[in-house]
Amino acid sequence: MEFIDYYKLLELDKSASKADIKKAYRKLARKYHPDLNPNDKEAQAKFQQINEAHEVLSDPEKRKKYDEYGKDWQHADQFEQAKRQQAASGGFGGGFGGGGRQTYSGNFDDDTFSDFFEQMFGGRARAEGAHRGAHFKGQDFNAELQLKLSDVHESKKHTLTVNGKNIRLTIPAGVENGQTIKIKGHGGPGIQGGPKGDLYITFNILNDTNFRREKENLYSTEEIDLTAAALGGEIQVNTFNGKVKLKVKPGTQNNSKVKLKGKGFPKYKKEGQFGDLIITYAIKIPENLTEKQKELFQELKKTGI
Amino acid sequence: MKNEELIPADEICVRYQVERQFVSSLYESGIIEIVTVQETEYIHCDHLADFEKMMRLHKELDINLEGLEAINHLLKQIQDLHKDNIRLRNRLGLYE
Repeated sequence: MEFIDYYKLLELDKSASKADIKKAYRKLARKYHPDLNPNDKEAQAKFQQINEAHEVLSDPEKRKKYDEYGKDWQHADQFEQAKRQQAASGGFGGGFGGGGRQTYSGNFDDDTFSDFFEQMFGGRARAEGAHRGAHFKGQDFNAELQLKLSDVHESKKHTLTVNGKNIRLTIPAGVENGQTIKIKGHGGPGIQGGPKGDLYITFNILNDTNFRREKENLYSTEEIDLTAAALGGEIQVNTFNGKVKLKVKPGTQNNSKVKLKGKGFPKYKKEGQFGDLIITYAIKIPENLTEKQKELFQELKKTGI
Repeated sequence: MKNEELIPADEICVRYQVERQFVSSLYESGIIEIVTVQETEYIHCDHLADFEKMMRLHKELDINLEGLEAINHLLKQIQDLHKDNIRLRNRLGLYE
């Protein structure tokens, strides 16, 4: 556990007045407040740190203890004990009461304060600081779910563990990379009879196929022989559901595209509807020709091809 | 709309310790939606998160209504840009 320099965090020196602390805190809080920095974990972590720094430095008792022991915080308890013994014989008093200070709530996880803070000021102070605001609706949870592209081709049941609780849910086919869905009522419990928070799941979909995907359309490249391109023919192409036969038109050009209707990806929340598979032809130019083949090409050349 | 999804605006004011005028102002600014059923005003629980966010910014950062309107607008823009960014990234995948 490392010592945390609260003054440095608030960009202050040790002689800072109460007003300076408040001003510095306001400035940084406006910069890093989680509501103003959605999905920015770094900003949230920074905000928690400055919240903690403010919690300590704006409270004269806590600031005194922090200033007194500073880097020697690990020995604070021994010092305190020694002081109490002195106090018993007519010395000074101590204790860390709560105050009427304002602390920003944000929308945090439970671990709002650092281990350093907990060790030095104890769990009671933490509870007062972090959970002072009465929240009606439960906390919204955010989770990221990594799936393979082949996993979202069909609607499938998945079991997620969120805050130690197993949630079984059906992920609809066709969900997109980066898409966030809301699962109502699977967030934190409501306070004073309020509704539960919601669970937001963001999908990170890894492509484990040879297809490229844009929404419900799939794209692939198929190599075809020069002769098939020139004379036409039949090839087998891969689709998500296996191979299909495809007729190649005579005179097919390189990079030309064909669309296989309904062979793409399922449309999100539109059961039975699929996008298209768009195939780009890549014509294979033969290499290492035999003498015979070279002769035939020369013959073709003479005909003006 | 199910009744249990509607929370009376007056109850919200008591729970969150905000003035009724604050809720009305957020509604007038188009930041939150209010549903009126038999002369009672309600906030749909889907909009509660937006309300809470504005309340935190107002109470904790001393941001006035004009500031909240601007923030709300900019946050929506960020959200749209974020969605656009994901869409473009997914599209970029076609060319990689």
